Amino acid sequence: MVGAMSWLPLPATAAGRDPFERVFALRPNLFEAWRDFAALFWSRRLVDPVVLELCRLRVAQLLEARHPQSVRTPEALAAGLSESRIAGLASWWTRDDFSPTERACLRFAEQFVLDAKGISDADAAAVVGALGDAGTVAFVEALAIFDGFSRFCCSLDVEARA
Amino acid sequence: MIAARVKPPRTQSRDPIQASPLALQPELLQAFLRLYGTLWSHGELDQATKELARIRNARTIDCPICKAIRFKGAREEGLTEDVVDRIRDGYQASDLSDRQKVVLRYVDAFLASPGEIGEDLRRELLAHFTPAQLVELTAALALFMGFSKIAVALGGLPDTIPVHEQPTPAWPATP
Repeated sequence: MVGAMSWLPLPATAAGRDPFERVFALRPNLFEAWRDFAALFWSRRLVDPVVLELCRLRVAQLLEARHPQSVRTPEALAAGLSESRIAGLASWWTRDDFSPTERACLRFAEQFVLDAKGISDADAAAVVGALGDAGTVAFVEALAIFDGFSRFCCSLDVEARA
Repeated sequence: MIAARVKPPRTQSRDPIQASPLALQPELLQAFLRLYGTLWSHGELDQATKELARIRNARTIDCPICKAIRFKGAREEGLTEDVVDRIRDGYQASDLSDRQKVVLRYVDAFLASPGEIGEDLRRELLAHFTPAQLVELTAALALFMGFSKIAVALGGLPDTIPVHEQPTPAWPATP
């Protein structure tokens, strides 16, 4: 057994690139199907990767999820997302270096995590106006993955990527 | 009722999923159906336990469609409406089994404060489930909560939907 990666006892043979993968890979067919689904948001560029990464990290911040906060998605970095902008994410609403689309999506993402029923028509309309109908569906599905699997990491106490 | 936030696709399909806004992203939808079918039909955790968790989540998030669905496989494993009636606040005092109560405590913690799952609950979970089953249960919760929030956030659902049985999600999908 190996320890410290999570409170779950993991076999020494647990495979994966980092603690999240080594924990999730205890259910290999499920992990494979999850990975293929989660990758589509980035590989198909269904939403601007910078917007998506900012929202992914903000969701992880709200939930205090260590692992997702320790990861950077390559597609977002390739699209120009810098660490200085990530550093400003915890107080995005006070800063002027977030675009109207980013602000609309961050506002929606925060409410999605806290209480999805509390998303106002105005906040939803701002996202639909920025992303379109199909883009909004992709965005909301991505938020569900970010929220759900940040909680997965918190619940199982998955440690940060080294 | 929350107003629909996006327009569903134009389709003649009578399949509620294919007629929903989710069909605006067909590749995502196919990948999701594979993921969900794998969870339900190729799991190491029994379907009745997953259904217990799904329904508790549905009631907490207050998703009308998630609250109304009952999956056939879980019913066949014994998750009858009589059991479902006890998945409410106050379940601690019910005659649900210790295993079922631990699952419900875990669902509540996952939804309310996932970073505060203490030693006692961890120990109880490990007494009833293998590590692989707990990974599956936690991933299931992530998907159940996510799907409920998607439905709520996209709007367009009536406030109440009659309880009805559906085939257990499978992959490859059964006709």
